[in-house]
Amino acid sequence: MTSTSSRCRRAEGSRLECVDGQEPGASPVVQRLSLQIPLRQPRVRQFGSRKEVFPFPEVGQEELNEINQFVAPVEKFFTEEVDSQKIDREGKIPHETLEKLKSLGLFGMQVPEEYGGLGLSNTMYARLGEIISLDASIAVTLAAHQAIGLKGIILAGSEAQKAKYLPKLASGEHIAAFCLTEPASGSDAASIQTRATLSEDKKHYVLNGSKVWITNGARANIFTVFAKTSIVDSDNSVKDKITAFIVERDFGGVTNGKPEDKLGIRGSDTCEVHFENTRVPVENVLGEVGGGFKVAMNILNSGRFSMGSAVAGMLKKLIEMTTEYACMRKQFNRSLSEFGLIQEKFALMAQKAYVMESMAYLTAGMLDQPGFPDCSIEAAMVKVFSSEGAWQCVSEALQVFGGSGYVKDCPLERILRDARILLIFEGTNEILRMYIALTGLQHAGRILTARINELKRGNVTTIMETVGQRLRDSLGRTVDLGLTGKLGAVHPTVADSANKLEENVYYFGRTVETLLLRFGKTIVEEQMVLKRVANILINLYGMTAVLSRASRSIRVGLRNHDHEVLLANMFCTEAYYQNLFSLSQLDKYAPENLDEQIKKVSQQILEKRAYICAHPLDRTS
Amino acid sequence: MSWAQASLLARGLCRGWGGICGAALTGAPFSQVPPQAPRGLHCSTAAHHSDSSLVPRPPEPPRRPAKALALHEELFRQAPDGARDKASFVQAVQKFGQHNVHRRGHVDFIYLALRKMREYGVERDLAVYNLLLDVFPKEVFRPRSVLHSIFIHYPRQQECGIAVLEQMENHGVMPNKETEFLLLQIFGRKSYPMLKFLRMKLWFSRFKNINPFPVPRDLPQDPVELARLGLRHMEPDLSARVTIYQMPSSKDSTGAADPAEPHIVGIQSPDQQAALARHNPARPIFVEGPFSLWLRDKCVYYHILRADLLPPEEREVEEIPEEWNLYYPMQLDLDYGRSSWDDYEFDIDEVEEGPVFAICMAGAHDQATLAKWIQGLQETNPALAEIPVVFRLAGSTGELLAPSSGLEEPSPPPPEGQEDEEDSQQQRQQQGCFQDKGVEGEVPAWSPRSAGSPGSFFPAL
Repeated sequence: MTSTSSRCRRAEGSRLECVDGQEPGASPVVQRLSLQIPLRQPRVRQFGSRKEVFPFPEVGQEELNEINQFVAPVEKFFTEEVDSQKIDREGKIPHETLEKLKSLGLFGMQVPEEYGGLGLSNTMYARLGEIISLDASIAVTLAAHQAIGLKGIILAGSEAQKAKYLPKLASGEHIAAFCLTEPASGSDAASIQTRATLSEDKKHYVLNGSKVWITNGARANIFTVFAKTSIVDSDNSVKDKITAFIVERDFGGVTNGKPEDKLGIRGSDTCEVHFENTRVPVENVLGEVGGGFKVAMNILNSGRFSMGSAVAGMLKKLIEMTTEYACMRKQFNRSLSEFGLIQEKFALMAQKAYVMESMAYLTAGMLDQPGFPDCSIEAAMVKVFSSEGAWQCVSEALQVFGGSGYVKDCPLERILRDARILLIFEGTNEILRMYIALTGLQHAGRILTARINELKRGNVTTIMETVGQRLRDSLGRTVDLGLTGKLGAVHPTVADSANKLEENVYYFGRTVETLLLRFGKTIVEEQMVLKRVANILINLYGMTAVLSRASRSIRVGLRNHDHEVLLANMFCTEAYYQNLFSLSQLDKYAPENLDEQIKKVSQQILEKRAYICAHPLDRTS
Repeated sequence: MSWAQASLLARGLCRGWGGICGAALTGAPFSQVPPQAPRGLHCSTAAHHSDSSLVPRPPEPPRRPAKALALHEELFRQAPDGARDKASFVQAVQKFGQHNVHRRGHVDFIYLALRKMREYGVERDLAVYNLLLDVFPKEVFRPRSVLHSIFIHYPRQQECGIAVLEQMENHGVMPNKETEFLLLQIFGRKSYPMLKFLRMKLWFSRFKNINPFPVPRDLPQDPVELARLGLRHMEPDLSARVTIYQMPSSKDSTGAADPAEPHIVGIQSPDQQAALARHNPARPIFVEGPFSLWLRDKCVYYHILRADLLPPEEREVEEIPEEWNLYYPMQLDLDYGRSSWDDYEFDIDEVEEGPVFAICMAGAHDQATLAKWIQGLQETNPALAEIPVVFRLAGSTGELLAPSSGLEEPSPPPPEGQEDEEDSQQQRQQQGCFQDKGVEGEVPAWSPRSAGSPGSFFPAL
């Protein structure tokens, strides 16, 4: 497996190119990882992606100025005029706040300029996301409107549909909502019950069904609705397939239930939406009839990367609030900030913020490269990492505040409640981990198939090669994939961390091979194994992102880049050991691997549907 | 020649090898142990014939003074209104203590009382057992020297003490500190009742919760409740719902309900419901039974609704829909599966059985009653209306078949089945005694050498 990967030489600058020519333009490290652990989907390569991981993507000076121009008024508005406390308490965003958001153009950030939107690039969108996330309810409302609600029209809509709907949506005159989830159907598309039947005159679809947990459900005028339609297959069999529709509220028959009383993001409007004999004209079919599944998947996959920058923005604000408290509050004649256990929390917050920021902007930068590269795995990784980081950091910040953080007067309590949803929506983290691991493994599997088949057949040469390789590994080999060294992609200050990344990548590749050899396609059922694969991948991507960003910062000479180096090295070391642990857990007979016990315990509990241990005070006599 | 050999020889002379072997096989604790001499010392007449059993039958020697026993019987008959409850039992025991300051004939009395316990319904009452033990005179039977404890001191009394503990064991009564204290007072630490006590302490705690499917100690008397319990006991799915399709017409707890309206209680889980809905109406389903289920000493009968296993060619292959999961691929596009060296499963031949759709317990086992159950099932399972139902009753139950259908709880064995009870008691005794035998069998052989450390008598210590 390494034979293809290690034959790379450095080209000019920090670009890396492959000699074997199989991978034209596949230079960045993730691509190189993908030779090791062939990760990228083939589709990516088709486009001859110019995804650059090294150096860290930059924006031009003009674009930067442009961003800053946008950011300044938005930031001013959010810090001065938005009262998050009130929004949370009253459970709704005030009308004037919404109007102001509309006038700032925030309802059409990614709508192309010709349709009246701002036409922001992904990077700029991520940058604005940092500010918008200062109020979670507004962030969710805006995200539901444009990251999923109207995204379908941008991605799959026809010219006519775009021209008809996008201008009003971009201005905020109309608000969009995304209607996929049903009482019986979360991620299981096969159980969608909403039906659309073609009318007699073949001009309308009649839509019937209910959707739940629709953000903006009460406010929206335009809905992207997914419903089952009967499709006559090529072989004349009738099949139910999902189709996406653009439904206007004015079509009639659209009602919504009362708003849900939620734990967090209380200002956002979430409710059930019912469609009863809603007549949708055929021209409002989004994409192809029966192609709704793909549309839904694309929308969901495209919206995730921005969570990284949003959470990072929130964390930065959180650090400011928490540091202030920690420096003011005195105990034993010392301020809290002098205690090691408090300091630790700030390091954690800074580190998480740094990593997710790096991951988010790296992904955004890759997405902005020409040719619509598919970065859905990366986006999913950013989402998982940032949502979990958010929960952890907010909880730690609240810990610094102690008792005073637990009361409603303190904003920490609200932020904690708001942060909890991040782990749940846009695909729960569990499901996204499956996605990350399986998509990665699928790709690795395709490349490895031939080799594994040979191994299974007992091809002597292959076996000898493998054994020899293992032997060499066991004698302690240094892995060098060419990231470091003179003129390497990575700055020497973080070379140690880069070596750690390389080592992880190398052994991960081997482990993946073993896993595929062991489980084959039944690995789909091994969720605990997949979780670890996903965790390692997330860590690897995080390491790559921080190394790339820190290297750039040093080379460009950004302010406080030594701090960045600290954070990057810290994260890489932590992630390295986590990865080593996970890798050892993936070994079949590892003592660290508790899967059997875990399964047994949960089985016994689920069988009885209760905690089954006797009470410690119980006696047998 | 060592003392041990001498004693072995003596025993051989005394009882003959046949006797030893017989005793060893039946596993009585004491019979083969004591050479005749020590017994003679205490003039015990009891142990000669009790090779196989100690309790609850009192050893009845031929020369037993029948008068004494009759006297004790009298004590139990003296209850004022003939009530047989704990109070009158306790009263009888106390009276024995008052009448008989010297506790004469206490062993006979205890044996008698043990047999009476069931009648008075106190066989599971620890306090009563302690009271019985309290009848023994204190300090008298304690061994005073090593020799005493080697050659069983007052064997008849010790046997009686063991009999009390044995009956406790059979009824699952765990001795407590008071029992221990009494036994210490009566027999001392190095006595056989004490050994028995320690073993009970050890094993009871180990076995008390060994049954993963515990049945409550007191079963409900109401047949409907009992049926509900039995159905829950059989159904592994906790989300299954028990439905009472028909209440018994007369509220007669003895179970002599009106044969026209016996109770019908059924259970069905959502999974079974779904399976029934999927069932191909062209294939018949069967009502089979009655099968028996034992809940402690009660036997209840149930019927199942089941179908035959589909022939392999008709089984639907579960295929993964193409567009199923919105978030991640449900299958990998690889052409190899789990390798054989990673197969954790044992090679087990599994017999596949047809699906069971529902279970019911009814007061009557005839077709008319069961047809009502099927009717009731149709309300929640509309698919059942189209599926032919074949009744295949009886036949499969073998000897447990009801003598006449229409009878409530057709042939449970007599609940007061003394023979049964005693049989099982004897069995248990034999098992219990088997442990004792191990130690005691060795006593004569090496006791002289271990006399310096008498603790080795009691492995449980």
